[in-house]
Amino acid sequence: MVTAPPNAYVELNFRPNVQLVSVVRRFVSEFYQRTLNDPDGTSRVALATHELLENAVKYSKDGETTIRIEVDTNQPRLVTILLRNRATDPHITAIREIVDGMAAAKDSFAFYQDLLVQKAKRRDGSGLGLARICAEGEMKITYRVIEGDLVELLANTTVGVTP
Amino acid sequence: MSTEIAAVDAEDFKGQALHDGEAIETSLQGTADYAALDALEMMLGRVHAEAKRLGVRNVTVDMRKLEFMNSSCFKTLVSWITDVQELPEAARYKVTFLSNPKLYWQKRSLHSLRSFAVDLVTITEA
Repeated sequence: MVTAPPNAYVELNFRPNVQLVSVVRRFVSEFYQRTLNDPDGTSRVALATHELLENAVKYSKDGETTIRIEVDTNQPRLVTILLRNRATDPHITAIREIVDGMAAAKDSFAFYQDLLVQKAKRRDGSGLGLARICAEGEMKITYRVIEGDLVELLANTTVGVTP
Repeated sequence: MSTEIAAVDAEDFKGQALHDGEAIETSLQGTADYAALDALEMMLGRVHAEAKRLGVRNVTVDMRKLEFMNSSCFKTLVSWITDVQELPEAARYKVTFLSNPKLYWQKRSLHSLRSFAVDLVTITEA
Protein backbone atom coordinates (compact mmCIF):
# COMPACT_ATOMS: atom_id res chain seq x y z
CA MET A 1 0.00 0.00 0.00
CA VAL A 2 1.30 3.42 -0.99
CA THR A 3 0.34 6.27 1.29
CA ALA A 4 -0.88 9.35 -0.52
CA PRO A 5 0.73 12.61 0.55
CA PRO A 6 -1.60 15.37 1.74
CA ASN A 7 -3.68 16.76 -1.09
CA ALA A 8 -2.33 14.23 -3.59
CA TYR A 9 -3.69 14.94 -7.04
CA VAL A 10 -3.64 13.76 -10.63
CA GLU A 11 -4.18 16.25 -13.43
CA LEU A 12 -4.42 15.61 -17.15
CA ASN A 13 -4.77 18.12 -19.94
CA PHE A 14 -5.57 16.32 -23.18
CA ARG A 15 -7.97 15.69 -26.00
CA PRO A 16 -9.80 12.57 -24.88
CA ASN A 17 -11.37 10.16 -27.30
CA VAL A 18 -13.59 7.18 -26.65
CA GLN A 19 -10.69 4.75 -26.31
CA LEU A 20 -8.72 7.02 -23.98
CA VAL A 21 -11.64 7.38 -21.58
CA SER A 22 -11.34 3.74 -20.54
CA VAL A 23 -7.55 4.04 -20.37
CA VAL A 24 -7.85 6.96 -17.95
CA ARG A 25 -10.54 5.18 -15.90
CA ARG A 26 -8.24 2.17 -15.48
CA PHE A 27 -5.32 4.39 -14.50
CA VAL A 28 -7.42 6.28 -11.95
CA SER A 29 -8.74 3.02 -10.58
CA GLU A 30 -5.25 1.55 -10.21
CA PHE A 31 -3.79 4.77 -8.79
CA TYR A 32 -6.45 5.27 -6.13
CA GLN A 33 -6.69 1.58 -5.29
CA ARG A 34 -3.12 1.93 -4.09
CA THR A 35 -3.61 5.22 -2.27
CA LEU A 36 -7.16 5.34 -0.86
CA ASN A 37 -7.43 1.83 0.58
CA ASP A 38 -11.16 1.98 -0.12
CA PRO A 39 -12.23 -0.26 -3.03
CA ASP A 40 -15.78 1.04 -3.11
CA GLY A 41 -14.61 4.65 -2.96
CA THR A 42 -12.09 3.98 -5.71
CA SER A 43 -14.83 2.41 -7.83
CA ARG A 44 -17.03 5.49 -7.37
CA VAL A 45 -14.18 7.83 -8.34
CA ALA A 46 -13.43 5.72 -11.42
CA LEU A 47 -17.08 5.69 -12.46
CA ALA A 48 -17.34 9.46 -12.12
CA THR A 49 -14.10 9.97 -14.05
CA HIS A 50 -15.38 7.82 -16.90
CA GLU A 51 -18.77 9.50 -17.12
CA LEU A 52 -17.34 13.02 -16.96
CA LEU A 53 -14.74 12.28 -19.64
CA GLU A 54 -17.27 10.62 -21.95
CA ASN A 55 -19.41 13.73 -21.69
CA ALA A 56 -16.36 15.79 -22.60
CA VAL A 57 -15.68 13.63 -25.67
CA LYS A 58 -19.27 13.91 -26.85
CA TYR A 59 -19.97 17.56 -26.13
CA SER A 60 -16.69 19.47 -26.09
CA LYS A 61 -16.38 22.27 -28.64
CA ASP A 62 -12.65 21.84 -29.25
CA GLY A 63 -11.76 18.58 -27.55
CA GLU A 64 -9.42 20.25 -25.06
CA THR A 65 -10.18 18.89 -21.60
CA THR A 66 -8.67 19.19 -18.16
CA ILE A 67 -9.43 16.66 -15.49
CA ARG A 68 -8.00 16.97 -12.00
CA ILE A 69 -8.62 14.51 -9.21
CA GLU A 70 -7.56 15.72 -5.79
CA VAL A 71 -7.59 13.91 -2.49
CA ASP A 72 -7.58 15.83 0.77
CA THR A 73 -6.05 13.26 3.07
CA ASN A 74 -7.55 14.69 6.23
CA GLN A 75 -10.10 12.28 7.66
CA PRO A 76 -12.61 11.62 6.29
CA ARG A 77 -10.92 11.98 2.95
CA LEU A 78 -12.54 14.35 0.52
CA VAL A 79 -12.11 13.50 -3.16
CA THR A 80 -12.74 16.26 -5.67
CA ILE A 81 -12.90 15.69 -9.40
CA LEU A 82 -12.74 18.77 -11.57
CA LEU A 83 -13.49 18.63 -15.27
CA ARG A 84 -13.05 21.72 -17.40
CA ASN A 85 -13.79 22.14 -21.11
CA ARG A 86 -15.60 24.33 -23.61
CA ALA A 87 -19.06 22.90 -24.14
CA THR A 88 -21.82 23.42 -26.65
CA ASP A 89 -24.93 25.39 -25.67
CA PRO A 90 -27.24 22.33 -25.69
CA HIS A 91 -24.83 20.53 -23.39
CA ILE A 92 -24.63 23.46 -20.99
CA THR A 93 -28.42 23.49 -20.89
CA ALA A 94 -28.45 19.75 -20.19
CA ILE A 95 -25.89 20.18 -17.38
CA ARG A 96 -28.03 22.88 -15.78
CA GLU A 97 -31.16 20.73 -15.98
CA ILE A 98 -29.57 17.65 -14.45
CA VAL A 99 -27.34 19.25 -11.82
CA ASP A 100 -29.91 21.82 -10.70
CA GLY A 101 -32.57 19.10 -10.68
CA MET A 102 -30.43 16.82 -8.54
CA ALA A 103 -29.59 19.68 -6.16
CA ALA A 104 -33.24 20.59 -5.74
CA ALA A 105 -34.45 17.01 -5.31
CA LYS A 106 -35.22 15.86 -1.78
CA ASP A 107 -34.08 12.36 -2.73
CA SER A 108 -31.36 12.09 -5.36
CA PHE A 109 -31.97 8.36 -5.84
CA ALA A 110 -35.67 8.98 -6.54
CA PHE A 111 -34.68 11.71 -9.01
CA TYR A 112 -32.38 9.23 -10.74
CA GLN A 113 -35.10 6.59 -10.88
CA ASP A 114 -37.48 9.11 -12.50
CA LEU A 115 -34.75 9.95 -15.00
CA LEU A 116 -34.33 6.26 -15.88
CA VAL A 117 -38.02 6.15 -16.77
CA GLN A 118 -37.77 9.34 -18.84
CA LYS A 119 -34.64 8.30 -20.74
CA ALA A 120 -35.48 4.63 -21.30
CA LYS A 121 -36.67 5.16 -24.87
CA ARG A 122 -34.25 7.94 -25.78
CA ARG A 123 -32.04 7.14 -28.76
CA ASP A 124 -29.46 9.95 -28.63
CA GLY A 125 -27.07 9.37 -25.73
CA SER A 126 -28.14 8.28 -22.29
CA GLY A 127 -28.64 11.61 -20.51
CA LEU A 128 -27.86 9.66 -17.35
CA GLY A 129 -24.14 10.22 -16.77
CA LEU A 130 -24.23 13.13 -14.31
CA ALA A 131 -27.20 11.75 -12.41
CA ARG A 132 -25.47 8.39 -12.20
CA ILE A 133 -22.42 10.05 -10.64
CA CYS A 134 -24.66 11.58 -7.96
CA ALA A 135 -26.96 8.63 -7.29
CA GLU A 136 -24.65 5.64 -7.74
CA GLY A 137 -21.37 7.41 -7.07
CA GLU A 138 -22.79 9.25 -4.05
CA MET A 139 -21.19 12.46 -5.19
CA LYS A 140 -22.30 16.04 -5.05
CA ILE A 141 -21.89 17.89 -8.34
CA THR A 142 -21.66 21.63 -8.80
CA TYR A 143 -20.82 23.62 -11.91
CA ARG A 144 -20.01 27.05 -13.16
CA VAL A 145 -19.90 28.52 -16.64
CA ILE A 146 -17.11 30.99 -17.38
CA GLU A 147 -16.70 33.13 -20.51
CA GLY A 148 -19.96 31.82 -21.93
CA ASP A 149 -18.86 28.30 -22.84
CA LEU A 150 -16.08 27.22 -20.45
CA VAL A 151 -17.67 24.74 -18.09
CA GLU A 152 -16.22 23.59 -14.78
CA LEU A 153 -17.85 20.59 -13.21
CA LEU A 154 -16.86 19.66 -9.65
CA ALA A 155 -17.79 16.29 -8.20
CA ASN A 156 -17.12 15.73 -4.48
CA THR A 157 -17.34 12.74 -2.23
CA THR A 158 -15.81 11.38 0.92
CA VAL A 159 -14.09 8.02 0.99
CA GLY A 160 -13.19 5.60 3.72
CA VAL A 161 -10.83 6.22 6.57
CA THR A 162 -7.53 4.37 6.40
CA PRO A 163 -7.35 1.79 9.19
CA MET B 1 -28.29 -28.89 -25.53
CA SER B 2 -28.04 -25.12 -25.82
CA THR B 3 -28.38 -23.07 -28.98
CA GLU B 4 -26.53 -19.82 -29.58
CA ILE B 5 -28.92 -16.98 -30.35
CA ALA B 6 -26.50 -14.06 -30.29
CA ALA B 7 -22.78 -13.38 -30.05
CA VAL B 8 -21.03 -10.03 -30.28
CA ASP B 9 -17.39 -8.98 -30.15
CA ALA B 10 -16.55 -5.27 -30.06
CA GLU B 11 -12.98 -4.36 -29.10
CA ASP B 12 -12.90 -4.80 -25.30
CA PHE B 13 -16.43 -6.16 -25.06
CA LYS B 14 -17.81 -9.62 -25.69
CA GLY B 15 -21.31 -10.97 -25.28
CA GLN B 16 -23.05 -14.25 -25.90
CA ALA B 17 -26.60 -15.51 -25.46
CA LEU B 18 -27.58 -19.18 -25.38
CA HIS B 19 -31.06 -20.69 -25.37
CA ASP B 20 -31.54 -23.77 -23.24
CA GLY B 21 -35.05 -25.04 -22.50
CA GLU B 22 -37.13 -22.37 -20.79
CA ALA B 23 -34.20 -20.02 -20.24
CA ILE B 24 -31.76 -17.81 -22.08
CA GLU B 25 -28.32 -17.45 -20.55
CA THR B 26 -26.48 -14.31 -21.50
CA SER B 27 -22.93 -13.37 -20.58
CA LEU B 28 -21.22 -9.98 -20.86
CA GLN B 29 -17.45 -9.60 -20.55
CA GLY B 30 -14.89 -6.81 -20.72
CA THR B 31 -15.77 -3.13 -20.90
CA ALA B 32 -19.21 -1.97 -22.00
CA ASP B 33 -18.44 1.59 -23.02
CA TYR B 34 -19.24 3.76 -26.02
CA ALA B 35 -17.50 1.32 -28.39
CA ALA B 36 -19.72 -1.54 -27.18
CA LEU B 37 -23.04 0.29 -27.36
CA ASP B 38 -24.22 -0.88 -30.80
CA ALA B 39 -23.20 -4.47 -30.07
CA LEU B 40 -25.00 -4.50 -26.73
CA GLU B 41 -28.16 -2.96 -28.22
CA MET B 42 -28.14 -5.52 -31.02
CA MET B 43 -27.60 -8.39 -28.63
CA LEU B 44 -30.30 -7.42 -26.15
CA GLY B 45 -32.72 -6.76 -29.00
CA ARG B 46 -32.08 -10.27 -30.24
CA VAL B 47 -32.43 -11.73 -26.74
CA HIS B 48 -35.76 -9.98 -26.26
CA ALA B 49 -37.09 -11.07 -29.65
CA GLU B 50 -36.07 -14.68 -29.05
CA ALA B 51 -37.38 -14.67 -25.49
CA LYS B 52 -40.78 -13.63 -26.83
CA ARG B 53 -40.72 -16.08 -29.74
CA LEU B 54 -39.60 -19.02 -27.62
CA GLY B 55 -41.75 -18.15 -24.62
CA VAL B 56 -38.89 -18.42 -22.16
CA ARG B 57 -39.60 -17.65 -18.51
CA ASN B 58 -36.13 -16.60 -17.39
CA VAL B 59 -33.19 -14.73 -18.83
CA THR B 60 -29.91 -14.72 -16.94
CA VAL B 61 -27.28 -12.05 -17.51
CA ASP B 62 -23.87 -13.05 -16.20
CA MET B 63 -21.89 -9.87 -15.53
CA ARG B 64 -19.20 -11.40 -13.35
CA LYS B 65 -16.50 -10.67 -15.92
CA LEU B 66 -17.84 -7.27 -16.93
CA GLU B 67 -15.20 -4.81 -15.75
CA PHE B 68 -17.25 -1.68 -16.35
CA MET B 69 -20.45 -0.41 -17.96
CA ASN B 70 -20.99 3.22 -18.90
CA SER B 71 -24.28 5.08 -18.62
CA SER B 72 -25.15 4.65 -22.30
CA CYS B 73 -24.87 0.87 -22.03
CA PHE B 74 -26.64 0.95 -18.67
CA LYS B 75 -29.47 2.82 -20.32
CA THR B 76 -29.66 -0.02 -22.86
CA LEU B 77 -30.34 -2.40 -19.96
CA VAL B 78 -33.01 0.00 -18.68
CA SER B 79 -34.63 0.16 -22.12
CA TRP B 80 -34.63 -3.62 -22.38
CA ILE B 81 -36.24 -4.03 -18.95
CA THR B 82 -38.82 -1.43 -19.98
CA ASP B 83 -39.60 -3.52 -23.07
CA VAL B 84 -40.15 -6.55 -20.82
CA GLN B 85 -42.42 -4.51 -18.54
CA GLU B 86 -44.50 -3.49 -21.54
CA LEU B 87 -45.19 -7.08 -22.61
CA PRO B 88 -48.58 -8.57 -21.72
CA GLU B 89 -48.29 -10.08 -18.26
CA ALA B 90 -48.41 -13.66 -19.53
CA ALA B 91 -45.49 -13.03 -21.87
CA ARG B 92 -43.20 -11.31 -19.38
CA TYR B 93 -40.05 -13.09 -18.36
CA LYS B 94 -37.85 -12.67 -15.31
CA VAL B 95 -34.30 -11.34 -15.56
CA THR B 96 -31.58 -12.44 -13.17
CA PHE B 97 -28.24 -10.63 -13.08
CA LEU B 98 -25.21 -12.49 -11.77
CA SER B 99 -22.84 -9.93 -10.28
CA ASN B 100 -19.27 -9.93 -9.04
CA PRO B 101 -19.02 -8.51 -5.50
CA LYS B 102 -15.44 -7.41 -6.19
CA LEU B 103 -16.64 -5.09 -8.95
CA TYR B 104 -18.23 -2.51 -6.69
CA TRP B 105 -19.97 -0.48 -9.40
CA GLN B 106 -22.11 -3.53 -10.20
CA LYS B 107 -23.75 -3.54 -6.78
CA ARG B 108 -24.73 0.12 -7.12
CA SER B 109 -25.87 -0.02 -10.75
CA LEU B 110 -27.80 -3.24 -10.35
CA HIS B 111 -29.50 -1.88 -7.24
CA SER B 112 -30.70 1.02 -9.41
CA LEU B 113 -31.93 -1.40 -12.05
CA ARG B 114 -33.73 -3.62 -9.57
CA SER B 115 -35.39 -0.60 -7.94
CA PHE B 116 -36.62 0.33 -11.40
CA ALA B 117 -38.30 -3.06 -11.93
CA VAL B 118 -38.47 -4.88 -8.62
CA ASP B 119 -41.02 -7.42 -9.88
CA LEU B 120 -38.88 -8.53 -12.83
CA VAL B 121 -35.26 -8.18 -11.81
CA THR B 122 -33.29 -10.33 -9.39
CA ILE B 123 -29.63 -9.83 -8.45
CA THR B 124 -27.44 -12.73 -7.43
CA GLU B 125 -23.89 -12.24 -6.21
CA ALA B 126 -21.77 -15.14 -7.30
